[in-house]
Formats: sequence, C-alpha cells, structure tokens
Amino acid sequence: MYSSSKPAETAKISVRAARPLEYYRKFLEKDVRPDGRELGEFRPTILNIGCISTAEGSALVKLGNTTVMCGIKAEFATPKTEEPSNGYLVPNVELSPLCSPMFRPGPPGEQAQVLSHFVNEVLNQSCCVRKEDLCIKTGKLVWVLYCDILCLDYDGNAPDACILSLLAALKSTMLPAVKYNEETEKPETDSVKTEPLHILSNPVSSTFAIFDDHLLFVDPTVQEESLATGTVTIVTNDNDLCLVQKPGGSPVTADQMNTCFERAFSRSKEVLRLIDEILHSIER
Amino acid sequence: MVDHVGTVFLPGDTIHNLNKSEKTGKIIIGPGLRQESETIIVSKPGILRHKEPNIYWIDSHQKKYVPVKGEQVLGVVTAKAGDVFRVDVGGSEQATLSYLSFEGATKRNRPDVKVGDIVFARFLVANKDMEPELVCMDGAGRSSGMGVIGRDRGFMFTCSLNLIRKILSPGCVLLKTLGNGNRFEITVGMNGRVWIHGRSVVDTIMVANAISAAEFMDKDQIRAMCSKLADRFIVVE
Amino acid sequence: MSNSSKRSNLRVMSAELSLLSRPDGSATLFQGDTCVMSAVYGPGEVRINKEQIDRATVEVIYKPRSGLPGCTEKSQERLIRNTCETVLLSSLHPRSSVSLTVQEMQNSGSLLACCINSMCLALLDSGMSMKCLVAAVHCVLDFEGAVFLDATDKEEKGAQACVTFVFDSVDKNVVMVHAVGKYSVEQFNKCMSVCRTASADIFHFYRETMTKKLKRS
Repeated sequence: MYSSSKPAETAKISVRAARPLEYYRKFLEKDVRPDGRELGEFRPTILNIGCISTAEGSALVKLGNTTVMCGIKAEFATPKTEEPSNGYLVPNVELSPLCSPMFRPGPPGEQAQVLSHFVNEVLNQSCCVRKEDLCIKTGKLVWVLYCDILCLDYDGNAPDACILSLLAALKSTMLPAVKYNEETEKPETDSVKTEPLHILSNPVSSTFAIFDDHLLFVDPTVQEESLATGTVTIVTNDNDLCLVQKPGGSPVTADQMNTCFERAFSRSKEVLRLIDEILHSIER
Repeated sequence: MVDHVGTVFLPGDTIHNLNKSEKTGKIIIGPGLRQESETIIVSKPGILRHKEPNIYWIDSHQKKYVPVKGEQVLGVVTAKAGDVFRVDVGGSEQATLSYLSFEGATKRNRPDVKVGDIVFARFLVANKDMEPELVCMDGAGRSSGMGVIGRDRGFMFTCSLNLIRKILSPGCVLLKTLGNGNRFEITVGMNGRVWIHGRSVVDTIMVANAISAAEFMDKDQIRAMCSKLADRFIVVE
Repeated sequence: MSNSSKRSNLRVMSAELSLLSRPDGSATLFQGDTCVMSAVYGPGEVRINKEQIDRATVEVIYKPRSGLPGCTEKSQERLIRNTCETVLLSSLHPRSSVSLTVQEMQNSGSLLACCINSMCLALLDSGMSMKCLVAAVHCVLDFEGAVFLDATDKEEKGAQACVTFVFDSVDKNVVMVHAVGKYSVEQFNKCMSVCRTASADIFHFYRETMTKKLKRS
C-alpha cells in the first residue's frame, strides 16, 4: 500500500512543479482548486485587533498564509491653509524582503507603490473617516493618522488583506481627548479619557483572478497570481461600489463583472460580521 | 473577396473568403496575418496584398528590423569573439558571422575583417528563439557580391523598411533612372540600410538624398526628380 | 436632463504619427485639450535581469508634465503596461524588450484614457504584431447620476465617480477598468454601456488615422 502510493505522490509533486498550469487546469475542470477551495471561496480569514499596544489602533490579518499588520499612529499637526479644518490620513504599505524573496530591500518597489496608492484611493474615495472629524482647532491643530501597513508573509492577494487590516485598525482606533488651550496655544491631552474614531462606512476589498481567459476565482494565492491572466479588484462600500480596478489582462464580459460584484457584496457582509465579532469579544 | 485587397487592415480584424488554391484548397499567409483555428486574423496594421493564386500578406510600415531567414542585410562588425564576428544588423540582438563563411576562407586563410567594417551578408539562421547567424556565401560557396564592402569609402545611411522594399521591387524606376548618365555603387540591405559610393562626395550625398526623398513619390515624380538631378551631376563634373 | 447621458460624444480627437525620428513608432494624440505623446522602441535588446525566455519584456515609463514620478504615476504606469501586454503578441519576440515612454503634455481631463489611446496609436505606428486594438473611454458620474462622457478636468472635480474603461476591438470586452468614487452596480453598468458605444468612435478614428498614413505612399 505504502509503496504503491509513493510513486503517485512523487508524480503529483513533479507535475505541480514542472507544469503548474496543467496541474491547475486538471483541478479547475472539477471546479475545485488544489488547496481544496471552491472557486468563490476565500481562504480562512483570521483577525486580531489591538495587537500593538503602543499604537492608537492596530490589527493583524491572516488570509490563509498572507499575513498583514496595520498600525495607526496619531500625531498633532497644523492643517493646510486651504483646508483649515481637515486632518490628514497618510497610508503607507510596506512589502519588505521579510515577507517574500520577490521583494528587495531598499526603496519601495513598484508593487508597494501601487498598493500604497490603492489604499490611499480607497481611504479618500470611500470617505470612511471624515477628515473634518480629525480637527481639534480649526486652522491651528489637527490629527494626522499614519496608517502603516506591513506585510509579514506574502502569499498572494495583498490588496484584500491590506484593506481589511486597515478597516479593522481604524475601527479599533481610540484617540485621546484633547483640549486646545487658547492662551498657551498648546494642546492638553487627557491621558485617561479616549474617544473612538468615527467610521462612517466600511470599505471591503475582494480580488478575483482570471484563469485561462475565462475562469474567475476569488482570493488568489501567490502561485495562482503568477498563473493568472489578469485580476479584478472590487472595493465595496456598504451598499455601493467604491473602487473597481482591473489593470489590464484578459478581457472580461459585463456578465462576468456582475458575478464578481455579487460575490464582492456577499464577501463584504462576511468580513463586517467578522470584524464586529472580534470587536465585541475585545469589549467583553 | 477581391475588394479586400488594397484596403487597410488593423490588428484584430478578421479576413473572410480568401482565394484558395484549386489543387490543394489551401491559402498561403505571409507577414502580418495569423491563423487562429479556422479564421485568419490580422496582426499588423497595413494594406492587404495578394499574389495569384493564393498568397496573401500585409504590407506594413515598420522601422525596426526583425531578421528573416535568407534576407540579405548590411551589418556593422562590432566585435571579434573567437571564431565569430558579432554584427549589428539593427535587430533586437547582434548576429554572428563565422570567419569560415566567406568565399575561400579556411582555418589558415582568414578573411580580412576588422571591427567597424560594413558587411553585406545573408541570414542562414533567423529564428525568434535563436541567435541570428549570417554568412557571406551563397549555396554554392561563392561570395556573389557579399562580404566586406567599401572599407574607407562610401556612405551608409538608414531608412524605413518600406522604402527598401519599394526601391528593390522590380517595378521601381528609381535606381535605373538615377543610374542613367551617372555612375555610383549601391548596396541595399533588407534591414533598412543603404550603402552608396559615388564619384565624389557631393554625388554620394545627392544619391542618398534622392533615395530618402523617394519614399512617398510615385513613378512620375521619381522620374521628374531624377531628370532634375541629372543636370546637377553634370555641374559637379 | 438628470439620469440621462449629458454628453454622448467624445471630444474632438486629432493625432500625428511618426513625429519623432528616433523611436520605432510614436504618436501625439489630442483629445480635446488633453495631449499625450507616446514613443515605442522595440523589439530591442533586453537587460539580462529582465529577460523572459518565452516573450518580450514590456517596459512603460510614464512621465508627468512636471515633477518627479511618485506613487500615482507608478500606478498609472502599471495600468498602461498591463494593457499593453494584453494587446501585444509578445511571444513572437522572446528575449527582447519593448519599451514605451508616455509623456503627458497637457492634462485637461481624461488623462489616463488619452495615455492608453496614444499608446495604442504609437504601437500601430511601429507596426508591431498585436492581438487586437484597445480603446480607452473615460466618463464621470455627477451627483444626480448623469453620465458625462470624456470629462474635462472641471467636470472631474465635481464628480461623484470617475470611470475609465478600456475595450478590445474584437469582442468589445473590458480589458481594463479604473473606477473610483461612490456608485451603485447599476450606475457602473450604465457607464460601461455608454463607454462601450463611444469606443466605436475611437476605433473608427484609429482606422482613419492609419489609412491616412498608409495610403500616402
């Protein structure tokens, strides 16, 4: 029994290594992926909120093996003169050599820059944090929220993990109560009293990979990303869409887009339920 | 189907009902056309051309040369590397030219080729996956005009691949009329390079300019230009 | 007038091919007052660390009108490069590189769409083998849900959503989408159908421009 299964096992491994595309095709014919997931199934999502005690808000997300950490750091700043009552939101995504050999040390590579831009667009377009809420004293003092997202382990689908960790971290952010002293023109913080940040909407991202020009599946791993002929990223914002991005790749039909939208909205509900559960468990 | 021929096609267009050969029922497709299962799709922008009975191709404008087996090109020797010379032919990578592929060359009797020389050679191997290889011999082992040309004399310039095809086509009157009453040597490579040696520097430049100017001219315009130039040649003498 | 398409036409387009003498293909495209110049080199020699044995390496450099390129430009660059990779038959030229420079000349709205259209024209000018053509159409949604096709920069500022679609010339399917703002699925689909209809004008424009060029000789 043992001896007969062993050659088959080696054959399987060699097919996977030598002809990954054929290997995937064989599985996808049966509407299942090599890791056992169905086409519309995300990897198990694990969320941990408040893992960095020194940050104002933080979250750790595991999407299968992809691990992303987000920390929110709040600092004082003076607002721009043209927008005296707006605070700042500064997102930054880092893909360090720690998370994958694909990335080199040094200045951020193209993918990190594209991701940072993506997160920034989601933050601005979804209006999940109103910049006026970050104002302490108009024209004098506002909050600047540095949203640093760090990838610890890269196994595909970084956009979804980044947006999820960002939303969870923002939801857990507690800003200290501040009073602006008119005479000294200095802020006075109350070390005990903190206020939660207002989150107005919930952006949730879902990424789809296009395989062999026609098959769409959700939440690709690194290997799936490299075999895919294109990707579609959809960011939902409660009941609306906030960002749809398909950076080239195989053409898709309108029907395929609509199937993606449906899946993205159902994913949005799943994710929000997960965040709520975790937030509740922390409060208790 | 005749109405297709001579019209402009863009990549992605499909072409239907082309003439098939009566014997074999086949169509021969040339550059700019590709087959995808049962349909013929255009892959380069250009004008559809047809040659009886069943040969079709797209006549496209291109500046960059892509090596084709059997074509004669003008290259510049850039390096000597052991048994081969490296030759720049304007393609995506340099071609190799073995020192044994010259007429009468043996291991003892090496051809006289220096870095910087212009060679007129033919592609023996031109394949997208392999390094292109040149030879300076025809099938019978004779040079037939190929080899190092015009060391320390003459002038080489580049022009579009289209113009090369135009001046080399049998119906073109340019070189014939230019040669009337004026002597010059010319070598034309399919890679868009032309080498000219006239009796004087002014002659050479004039011929070069005439060739460049002929790109968008028809036969009558070319004749008119040449007759104007013929007067000039006499003035120089 | 609300809930209907406010401008159903694209702005006037004009293009000039082979303006630059050095590149293998170049194009300057005006869409209204937005102007982008693109140049293609290739297939040429490739840097050894970027060599791909089964296809050509596509490099895109996006140059903003002023200043140094940042994250936004990198993001644009990737959108243009991926679109370019989709249309090129890069497997015909393995171990070589196709490099594309896209220079923004003037931005008065619909910049990304203009970049992609000028890229496509430059590729056509270079005569490289392609699978199909692509046409990019930009539109914005205002707060009443009306669609403005090929928006100017003023219209972009007051918009609820900005959408850029790229369609292929064969099946008119979606090659690229970049849609930001706040909009429903219905609105997205409406924009898509409006843009798809408008893409026919761009394909027609390509054909006209190329016919003009090729019939010259």
